Amino acid sequence: MNTAHAELRKLLTLPSLRLTALLTWTANLVLTYAYRAAESGGEPLGDNVALVPLGYTQAGFLVLGVLAVASEYQEGGQIRTTLLAMPRRLPLQAAKAVALAALTLPVAAATATTSTVSAGEATSTPAATGYLTLTTLLGAAVASVVRRAVPAVILLLALYFIAGPLLRAWSATSAAYLPDTAALEPSRGAAATIIWTLSVLTLAAFTFHRRDA
Amino acid sequence: MSLVRAELRKLLGLPTAWVGLALGTLIAPVVVLLNAPYTRRAIAAGTLSDTSDLGLRDLGIGLIGPMVLGVIVVSSEYTSTGQDAPGARQLTATLAAVPDRLRLLLAKTTALVLVVAAQAAVTAAATLTLTQVLHGEHAAAPAPGRVAAAILYWTLTALLAYAITLITRNGIVPLTLLIINSSVVSVSYLLTKVTDLAAYLPDIAGTQMFLRSGDFPVEIAPVTAGLVMIAWVVALLAVGAVLFHRRDV
Repeated sequence: MNTAHAELRKLLTLPSLRLTALLTWTANLVLTYAYRAAESGGEPLGDNVALVPLGYTQAGFLVLGVLAVASEYQEGGQIRTTLLAMPRRLPLQAAKAVALAALTLPVAAATATTSTVSAGEATSTPAATGYLTLTTLLGAAVASVVRRAVPAVILLLALYFIAGPLLRAWSATSAAYLPDTAALEPSRGAAATIIWTLSVLTLAAFTFHRRDA
Repeated sequence: MSLVRAELRKLLGLPTAWVGLALGTLIAPVVVLLNAPYTRRAIAAGTLSDTSDLGLRDLGIGLIGPMVLGVIVVSSEYTSTGQDAPGARQLTATLAAVPDRLRLLLAKTTALVLVVAAQAAVTAAATLTLTQVLHGEHAAAPAPGRVAAAILYWTLTALLAYAITLITRNGIVPLTLLIINSSVVSVSYLLTKVTDLAAYLPDIAGTQMFLRSGDFPVEIAPVTAGLVMIAWVVALLAVGAVLFHRRDV
């Protein structure tokens, strides 16, 4: 409990995380407004209108997860101090995940609410909140394997925004197994999102346990 | 000249630059190859009647390459050189060697333009040749002017990423913005549904330099489109250059 508390305080004092959360939320407001405007202009936007802006702003949550982890590996090597204080790596990794989830949950809830409630689909708010939180954890897990912020961001965004849409256009069946399926189809995608996040978290824990700091 | 060579060597020495080079060069031809059966069926069924953009349209998806290159040519200067020397950044060494900041920027810009233009030429050649081999009987090869415009678009996109990074001094913000926007349905395209002014955003205007059959709210002539995009790049580069000139390291 102490460790999670310490990790949470570390995250709360990172200016880059505050900035990311603020930018993400603002971008979501602007996009939601743009969608409402386009909708009232009679543009066909497809199903799940509430979720489409979130499909873009999930990038902010991926970045949030990456920055939270990569900050440990940045200049100065904070990770070594962290490990000095908390040598058991697996409990540390778990505490980090718990702290990040606790930090993300309110941001995700605020972002999800602005999108869903304005579209009149308040019922999907909890699901969207959960999805965004899991996305953050997935980003954090990938960053924990890659350890550097810019390559991790390139990898994640290329997968979510270039490879994903291409695969979806190419083969409709593969679409149901991509990690961001829930952003487009909550009913089928929940399992995919949970399984992807858990497996990458496991991989991250394994590599963190085995590798030199 | 030796400055440009030094900047080229620095850029090509970055592992992330090779990620950008590989991704950018491979994605477009691979997409053409993967989509070939679908495209053939669409041409046969008559749903794809306008084949003038075939091949050129797929070039847009490889833009992640120039974006990565444009961002890291600046952001690599600002990341710390080692875990044990947190304050040391490559930029301090660079400026010790080249104190004239505007000359340094000029050399950096030249190096970036050379790399991206070469990458764009290779990618465009590969993509269009592949399109000709696969669908040659249905699609005429695009005019050289349009291919040149596509290469110019890649170069300008890299410069846009470069200019934004000069302003933010951090690679993550511009990468996130630009990669999301190069997604299949871009935010700029969405904004064109809200206001016609969004047609003058750099990526929407820029594609009209070489694409003919787009669903654009405002049709802009190729040359005007090029000038609009160049204006964006020049304006952002000017802001970036002034900031780089004035700010502390």
